[in-house]
Amino acid sequence: MKEFKDKKVIQALLAEIEKKVRSLSSPVRIMEVCGTHTMTAHRYGLKRLIEKTGVELISGPGCPVCITPNEIHEAAIELITRKENFILTTFGDMTRVPTRKGSLQTIVPAPDSRMSIVYSPEESLEKARRNPDKEVVFFGVGFETTIPAIAMTVREALEEGLSNYAVLSALWLIPPPLKAIVESREIAIDGFLYPGHVSAIIGEKPYRFIAEEYGIPGAITGFEPSDMLLGILSVLEQKERGKAEVANAYTRVVRPSGNLTALAVMDEMLEPKDAYWRGLGLIPQSGLKFKKKYAACDAEKKYRLKIEWGSEDLPGCRCGEVLRGLIQPPQCPLFSEKCNPDSPFGPCMVSFEGACLIHYKYHRG
Amino acid sequence: MCLGIPAKVIEVNESKQGKVDYLGTKIKTNFSLLEDIQLGDWVIVHAGFAISVLNEEEAQETLSLLREMAAAQEAADKQSKITTPLK
Ligand code: SF4
Repeated sequence: MKEFKDKKVIQALLAEIEKKVRSLSSPVRIMEVCGTHTMTAHRYGLKRLIEKTGVELISGPGCPVCITPNEIHEAAIELITRKENFILTTFGDMTRVPTRKGSLQTIVPAPDSRMSIVYSPEESLEKARRNPDKEVVFFGVGFETTIPAIAMTVREALEEGLSNYAVLSALWLIPPPLKAIVESREIAIDGFLYPGHVSAIIGEKPYRFIAEEYGIPGAITGFEPSDMLLGILSVLEQKERGKAEVANAYTRVVRPSGNLTALAVMDEMLEPKDAYWRGLGLIPQSGLKFKKKYAACDAEKKYRLKIEWGSEDLPGCRCGEVLRGLIQPPQCPLFSEKCNPDSPFGPCMVSFEGACLIHYKYHRG
Repeated sequence: MCLGIPAKVIEVNESKQGKVDYLGTKIKTNFSLLEDIQLGDWVIVHAGFAISVLNEEEAQETLSLLREMAAAQEAADKQSKITTPLK
């Protein structure tokens, strides 16, 4: 499948895109929703080539670590610094997100408690099995791609009768913030590249309102360079035809109705809630929480955590505007000098999918 | 973190636990989110779970579209070289 990166193919796609933009005779602004798309665009130097064609690419809110607000990090810090005999597990980049209380990496855990980095929720469950004398809490963050995997660990724990496993959940849905971004009218968007792997779970339908109610074209897009260009081309074709739809430019992975098994798991175990997003604020029905019957594994309930939603970012950090597509990372005054991968000021400089870190890595100097 | 990697199924048992091969590395994978899974299938793995089986036919279709576009572009380039001599 090397062709997906092939130079000739990429040149042909770019030429086609340029032709289409020219015939539309106005510049086109497309939001790549997913952080992994941001990565593809920058890693292969594709962004510059795309912008030469007249298509402006802006990054969206699709980096789960970036949009998770500080309050829940602070709740995790509270848990591990106050409670003895705990293991708090999470993905590596989550431990480096700075808050007013420090980061999970810099705090000192309570006696006999510790932090542990895992690569998957299952690994976290495994820790609960191996450490029956400790309480294991997985600080689980993710979009629809990751949510079924997190939910499955809760199901397994209950089936096995493991009473020392719980999830502190930061579970987010992709379509609601897109609606919030469009409705805010802060920025005009001509099209969306929808995240391929979120779509592998949810399918095409959840995005339809964007085409039908707002008339904005969109394409479900994969992560190879030519996948991204195919997505862009599809958006331009829709513009040309004057008909917005949800195209699927990643048919080798995404079925029109998604992954029904995963959707059934989510539906059975979780329910939507209004949730706070960094930069975007409170978005109706944009998060998921475990249903009542799973309360035993819901860390927020199990340990009676009080989370004060709606707090602010560290002073000076402009991640909120980056996440809304309003500014590019170098426009933040802290970028590079005060805020860099060694001493990040905000999550967008921490996560591999964060726009600030990606800019820092590929465009400094 | 939303990185999903395409990998080949090399081991799977009745309870849908097994392994994939990703660029020569064997990775423990849970297949219980997939209805039907067979050795040799290519899947997208994310956070320890396989979330989708790659559809070979669709992949080939996209590839042939890409090849066609590349060929058409090359032909057009040749054409323009003939008609507009290099400066
Ligand atoms: S450069 Fe740093 S401080 Fe500025 S928006 Fe990005 S993460 Fe926040």
